[in-house]
Amino acid sequence: MMSDFEWQPKQLDELVGKNSIVLFMKGTPETPQCGFSNRAAQVLQSLGQPFVSVDILSDPRAIPAVCEWSDFPTMPQIFVNGELIGGSDIALEMYESGELQEMLAEGDDKSED
Amino acid sequence: MDNRDSPSKMPTVEWMESEVAKAVPDAEQIVVVDLTGGQDHFHVRVVSVTFDGMRPLPRQRILLGHFRDYIPNVIHAIDLKCLTPEQAAADDGEVFHPHPNRRSDAELVGINIRSKEEI
Repeated sequence: MMSDFEWQPKQLDELVGKNSIVLFMKGTPETPQCGFSNRAAQVLQSLGQPFVSVDILSDPRAIPAVCEWSDFPTMPQIFVNGELIGGSDIALEMYESGELQEMLAEGDDKSED
Repeated sequence: MDNRDSPSKMPTVEWMESEVAKAVPDAEQIVVVDLTGGQDHFHVRVVSVTFDGMRPLPRQRILLGHFRDYIPNVIHAIDLKCLTPEQAAADDGEVFHPHPNRRSDAELVGINIRSKEEI
C-alpha cells in the first residue's frame, strides 16, 4: 500500500487528516532508530489509543518531503487531529501537562457530531 | 534584520547560548547542554516572559527560525524547553539524553514518562 506513496503534500495532508494521531519517526515504535523517536513513540503509547507511525527511514525521499511540507526541520514529528504539535520534547511536555489528552478528547467530540 | 553569527566550525555551547540570547532577548535563563559531546545534539532550556500565552510549537519556532540555516545539517538535533517563568519554577530541570550509551541497544528503553497525576 505504501509503495505508491509519493510523499506529496496532498497525500501527507490526507494521512494526517484521516488519522487522529500520526507519528513520523526514525524506525518503528518496536525498533526505534533514534532516542528522540523512541521518546515520541513511548509518549504516544502511554496515551493508550492506536496511532499511525511512519518510518521516514524507509524511503530517502521522506525526510526532505515531510520537513518541507510541515515546515519543521527535525524528526520525529507528531500530528494530532491533523495539526503538527511538534517533536518529542513538545509531545512529552503536552502529555505531562494533560494538554495532549485534552486535544484528543476534543477531536473525539468533533468526530461524533 | 539578520543578526546571526556563523559558527566558525562546529557550534559550541557558548555560541549556542549567545544565539539563543539574540533570538529571545528578554530570556531570564538560558541553559545549553551538548548532549553527546559531539557539538551537534543540543538541549536548550530558555525561560522568558515572551512565551506567556503561546502554545509550545510557536515558542519553538522562534528558536528554530533563528537556527534554520544550521538545522539539521550542522545541528542534527535540538531538544527544546521553552518555559514561562511560572513553568520554570515548577520544572525539575531534567535533561533528556537521546544516546546515553551509544554502544548498547538498551539505550532505547526506559524513558521516564510521567502522567499528569504523578507530577
